[in-house]
Amino acid sequence: MAWRKAAIVGVGVSRLGNLPNDTPLSLATEAFRDALADSGVAKDEVDGLLTMPGTTSTEGARHYLAVGERLGINPRLTGSLYMGGATACALVQQAALAVDAGMASVVACVFGDTARSGGNRFNTAAGADDSWGIWGMFGNAANSAFGARRHMELYGTTSEQLGWVAVTCRRHAQLNPQATMQAPMTIADHQASRMIVEPLHLLDCCLISDGAIVILVAGPERATDSRKPPVMLWGMGQGHTLQNLELPEWWYVPHQADAVSRTYRMAGVGPKDIDVAQLYDNFTISVLFWLEHAGFVAPGEAGPFVEGGERITLGGELPINTAGGNLSEAYMQGWLHIVEGVRQIRGEAGARQVDAELCLVAGRGMILNTASVLILGR
Amino acid sequence: VSAEAGPILPTITDLNKPFWDACAVGELRMQACAQCGHVRYPVAPICPQCLSPQYEWRRLSGRGEILSWVYFQRAYHAAWENRVPYNVILVQLEEGPRMFSNALPLGRDDLRIGMRVQVEFDDESGVALPRFCPVVDGQHDS
Repeated sequence: MAWRKAAIVGVGVSRLGNLPNDTPLSLATEAFRDALADSGVAKDEVDGLLTMPGTTSTEGARHYLAVGERLGINPRLTGSLYMGGATACALVQQAALAVDAGMASVVACVFGDTARSGGNRFNTAAGADDSWGIWGMFGNAANSAFGARRHMELYGTTSEQLGWVAVTCRRHAQLNPQATMQAPMTIADHQASRMIVEPLHLLDCCLISDGAIVILVAGPERATDSRKPPVMLWGMGQGHTLQNLELPEWWYVPHQADAVSRTYRMAGVGPKDIDVAQLYDNFTISVLFWLEHAGFVAPGEAGPFVEGGERITLGGELPINTAGGNLSEAYMQGWLHIVEGVRQIRGEAGARQVDAELCLVAGRGMILNTASVLILGR
Repeated sequence: VSAEAGPILPTITDLNKPFWDACAVGELRMQACAQCGHVRYPVAPICPQCLSPQYEWRRLSGRGEILSWVYFQRAYHAAWENRVPYNVILVQLEEGPRMFSNALPLGRDDLRIGMRVQVEFDDESGVALPRFCPVVDGQHDS
């Protein structure tokens, strides 16, 4: 039995791209107005506020204060959370639990960032105690490159196969007027793009973007009164490995499989029931890991599955990242993956619409540590 | 900028000083829990398995194998601008812990997963940094 005790009733998206005259808060305001218009919810009905600080937000854990003051919300329930790319799904989950418990009736989940114009290069050294920078270990690309290398050597996965993820996402972006990257991309383009951290090329890496997203969550009763058909939360799950080097399989992000299986169990469905998937794609290799962890293919088989692109595009076995994803729509740290899931379930996706009853949305963040997953349906 | 950026060196604390002091005399030492025996890295005040604060600095063999590796073609930090391209390896040490390091020489890109490596202490502005040299078969046992 699917959970279905809360629903996404509205989504709002600001302008996306390079927006040097904006701030995370100005963009969040734009997205909030858009979400209210999308849902038909009145501002005064919003009595929950959960936020994710952007990489350029200065407020840290007090981010909710700045957002609440800007938007004029004095909520029954609030807070801020930072789990990188797993935050969006995790906040929707917290909102869903809150409305189900009666602690709020409509919760706004808010994210805004100016990583692009603010110059965030996602390039810091990590490491407890001694910095990994001592050995030149920096940045998010390298974390994923370690996994990519091992997947390649263990299973024969190739750079061209990773390229098919990038090329397919770009094709989907070309069907999405909101996507910031519209120029065609070929496998040859992918292979010719410069190496960043081998084995990852530039076109294996996500964009860096400015923008904001707001997602409104309400209980099933309020949801049926909203402007558009409610998108019910069938299942929700998380899994995390907060240790890094202590875990031998850290590179393979095993907690992602736990997060997905918990979500399937809550939704009462399995991989064969999923019609479309929005899989967190900070790097192309991440999509391969998700395909394996979500049970769409067996471990090691994701490379051949994505090769040629047919299985993962519109009309294929499992269309993924139908809006273009972090790789080609905009890098909104997984928030746009939920927005696209909502549009697919509502039937609003236009030229990229999939005949979809269930959509899996998966987010992953930090130094490969955090994972959160939703299954959206009617 | 890059000319003035020295290498990134460890910040020595009371906790990690024995690790770096051991490196200086050519030994790789990590904390072994006195209660459960777990050998841990990174350096930490308590055992992440059993939470015991009691430990000894155990000398390790310095042997391990490459769990995975990457090759940086761009610099993310001024200290590394003059060194690209360079490798970073994830080493699985024989005694259990894993650490990031480099294979020597830093520009080497013919590495393989499963390749056996041996620690070597590499002078970096007067600090002995643990780095690793790939070894040929049989060399471990000599």
